[in-house]
Amino acid sequence: MVFVLTAICAGSALVLAYANKATKPAREYQLLKYVQGPSVKKVLKGYDNDPIRDVIEISIGKDEKGHSIKIFPAKKDGKIIGIAYSSSAQGYHGQIEVMVGIDMNGTITGISIMRHSETPGLGARVVEPAFTNQFAGLKLSGQLNLSTRGGKIDGVSGATFSSQGVVSAVRKALELFPKVKKEVS
Amino acid sequence: MGAVVREFTKGLWKEVPPFRLVLGLCPTLAVTTAAKNGVGMGLATTFVLVCSNLIISILRNAIPKKVRIAAFIVVIASFVVIVELMMQAYFYPLYKILGIFIPLIVVNCIILGRAEAFASKNSVLPSIADGLGMGLGFTMSLTLLGAIRELLGNGTVFGIHVMWESFRPFGIMLKPPGAFICLGLILSLMNWISSKQRSH
Repeated sequence: MVFVLTAICAGSALVLAYANKATKPAREYQLLKYVQGPSVKKVLKGYDNDPIRDVIEISIGKDEKGHSIKIFPAKKDGKIIGIAYSSSAQGYHGQIEVMVGIDMNGTITGISIMRHSETPGLGARVVEPAFTNQFAGLKLSGQLNLSTRGGKIDGVSGATFSSQGVVSAVRKALELFPKVKKEVS
Repeated sequence: MGAVVREFTKGLWKEVPPFRLVLGLCPTLAVTTAAKNGVGMGLATTFVLVCSNLIISILRNAIPKKVRIAAFIVVIASFVVIVELMMQAYFYPLYKILGIFIPLIVVNCIILGRAEAFASKNSVLPSIADGLGMGLGFTMSLTLLGAIRELLGNGTVFGIHVMWESFRPFGIMLKPPGAFICLGLILSLMNWISSKQRSH
């Protein structure tokens, strides 16, 4: 009785381990395509490659979960013209995960909020284009701050913490940029 | 051969799972907001049903009676995980829609029911036929229910517009009450047809 049940469980474990390994690349690709992919495409401009397929993994600066950072390069005629990677910072409720697109001069080409758990109707409004579009064209400088702190970005009213969270995440990404640039070029 | 065909066809009308046996109602009611979801859920269940029937009928003499349910569940759960991994890998949008109902195939009583009532007592070929018939019957039922709800609730079937321009969709059909109303009407229709057949 015990033997048969053990044998069945062992057999099942073997099969599942194999299935897990066999589908892993495909599953990761789907996750990229449907979760990170649309964000990457939104924040990069003027490329003619598939940034998702050309993803580069580098090990400098690990993200919150200790994974190495995935860099999505935007290429034109084979030359990298910009890169996108995700960054996160504390919002009002938990982490806000932002995909940041940066051209090779360190100027933001766009940002897109991928994951957050801010208050619906208040903090959650940071995902709206009215807020996120303000980032494009800025560099890591005093301008990249909320207007209440002398910057050029108008926070979402009633959601200072959430707005600040997004700004912090974007700043974090830009602070990492010189290192990342050295790594990819 | 005749017996195999009979085992296959019984799942398509005489014992069609959600409408005749009234089994597996949880996914039947929950995911059938569109015809496509019904097909996806149905085919995932069919795969698990056929594979688990196959394995269980092969092992039927080796599994001791006292631990048979535990053994069946291990086999079924393994195939459900395989389906889940495959859907994540190749049908991600559908996987997102079906969500929690994919892992819940484990506790779908049709599958354990067929394992206990059929596969554990019959040889391999009839067991596969039984699983395939029941699975396809389940798929058909879910697709029908999904198509009706999608048609009335959204004016489309499989995403294609079929209703006239000024048609105002009934939002309730896509919500849980719509599922119950629709299921009830189909059940009564099928009972009416059966009673007609009997009186002839």
